[in-house]
Amino acid sequence: MSIDIKHIAKLSRLRIEDEKLAKFEKDMENIVAMVDRLPDIEDELTLDPSDAMPLREDKAVPNKFTRDELIANAPEVQAGCLVVPKTVE
Amino acid sequence: MKLYEKTAAELSEMLRNKECSALEILNDVNDRINDVEGKVGAYVTLNEKAAESARAVDEAIARGEELHPLAGIPIGIKDNISTKGLRTTCSSRMLENYVPPFNATVIDKVNDAGMVITGKMNMDEFAMGSSTETSYIHLTHNPHNLECVPGGSSGGSAAAVAAGEAIVTLGSDTGGSIRQPAALCGVVGMKPTYGSVSRYGLVAFASSLDQIGSFGKSVKDVAMVQSAICGYDKMDATSAYVENTDYAANLRDSVRGLKIGVPAEYFGDGIDDDAKGSVYSAIKALEANGAEIRKISLPSTEFAINTYYIIASAEASSNLARFDGVKYGYRAKDYDGLTDMYEKTRSEGFGDEVKRRIMLGTFVLSSGFYDAYYKKAKLVQRKISNEFSQAFKECDVIATPTVPASAFKIGENIGDPLKMYYSDVCTVTVNIAGLPAISLPCGKSKDGMPFGLQFIGSKFAEQTILDAAYGYEKICGGFDSLAKNL
Repeated sequence: MSIDIKHIAKLSRLRIEDEKLAKFEKDMENIVAMVDRLPDIEDELTLDPSDAMPLREDKAVPNKFTRDELIANAPEVQAGCLVVPKTVE
Repeated sequence: MKLYEKTAAELSEMLRNKECSALEILNDVNDRINDVEGKVGAYVTLNEKAAESARAVDEAIARGEELHPLAGIPIGIKDNISTKGLRTTCSSRMLENYVPPFNATVIDKVNDAGMVITGKMNMDEFAMGSSTETSYIHLTHNPHNLECVPGGSSGGSAAAVAAGEAIVTLGSDTGGSIRQPAALCGVVGMKPTYGSVSRYGLVAFASSLDQIGSFGKSVKDVAMVQSAICGYDKMDATSAYVENTDYAANLRDSVRGLKIGVPAEYFGDGIDDDAKGSVYSAIKALEANGAEIRKISLPSTEFAINTYYIIASAEASSNLARFDGVKYGYRAKDYDGLTDMYEKTRSEGFGDEVKRRIMLGTFVLSSGFYDAYYKKAKLVQRKISNEFSQAFKECDVIATPTVPASAFKIGENIGDPLKMYYSDVCTVTVNIAGLPAISLPCGKSKDGMPFGLQFIGSKFAEQTILDAAYGYEKICGGFDSLAKNL
């Protein structure tokens, strides 16, 4: 199967440099050819009843972080807010 | 004998008998790090506050306080486990300067036990790889032969134990990332049952397969760490209640009557003859010591790698969508608008293997392909799980090789993703079925590089596989995990 790497990269919010495109394309085609080999099982997906996930009580708990701690790792901060490019014209 | 050469169990005893202090143990490990780290490259970051933790343990001993058995034991932490105030990079440019504001639950447990965190261990970027070569930070070398890879993705954690740069370490295992490097570095490594150790604070790769576990030079050390880190955690929705978790105290050293299943599918053409030979010899020795050997079949094993790469990549593509250059992590310098910022940030922040997995995951989940790949893989996953359940009606543990061959040379497989993926052929089924498994040193290649024996158990049968492993360790007269001539 031929894979449109540029399209998949766009969906993944990635960009592949032109000089690497051919290698990525070939690797991806080989990988897809490998994972393609799976048996057909006529069945539906169901949840495993033995793996019931107990959910936490839906209750507000005190926040254990300060604002400063949470934004300490942000790439760009102004006046205690995260800076992002303009999103609405 | 130097302190760094000893096991956690031995050091714990010595601390109690006041034959050494926690600070002396740490200093000895630090001296070893100074001597060999330049050759091995197991660490990404050293913990500058380690001496503080060691002194606190010594003060508690002086006050006559009751100590946890692991108090004062130096432990290295894989760099995808969040440590408050200590850089956690996932060996990626994306998180090169990320300092978590919180601890993973396992780190709180390690701290509560009084263990001394030596630092953060190198790994494949975001745990995607089998050789630690995809690390953005640097290479890690196999302490038994510096030209070879340590395995991966927890390569730094495995290499540190084999080099004496930590007494025990934590790693994570999504498709073999604890057991495969443990085998290639000749140490003990255990991947617990899915849900038995909290994943809160473990940077997610494939959430339904990821599990934290440990490395050590002996089965008892790994049992002690597992007891310390397991348990229900309300911060992890997939966490399980587990009872009777004092694994080290309950270890049984006889394999008499143990029913060991041997699946032919794990001894096929793709497995190196010497790797197979070592495991067959181990099985013979177990039988000679009273274990009952049963031939079993796990027919869907041949689809395991395919199933694994579909499920793991699908989850990775979703989990890694959070790295967008907004709240934390790397952000590209020049960009034109939001989409351009996302694309440049992710393209510059992630390495090639991470990009490949994100794109494979995006592809198998994309419109028109979901049924052909993801849904099919999930159905095969159930089939593989059912085959294991059937097998455990006939045996207590399953014995297989951990790795298809001993450690390969650095650079040998990095250009060929399929060859690299094949190195997980004996380990991925365990994650697909959510089972516990342990890898033990088991013979060596002609070049003196270690092979691994894997014991797989049914869900939550950690004690059973640890008992089998302990019995095997006794038969061997102990493991010789530390690398010589380093």
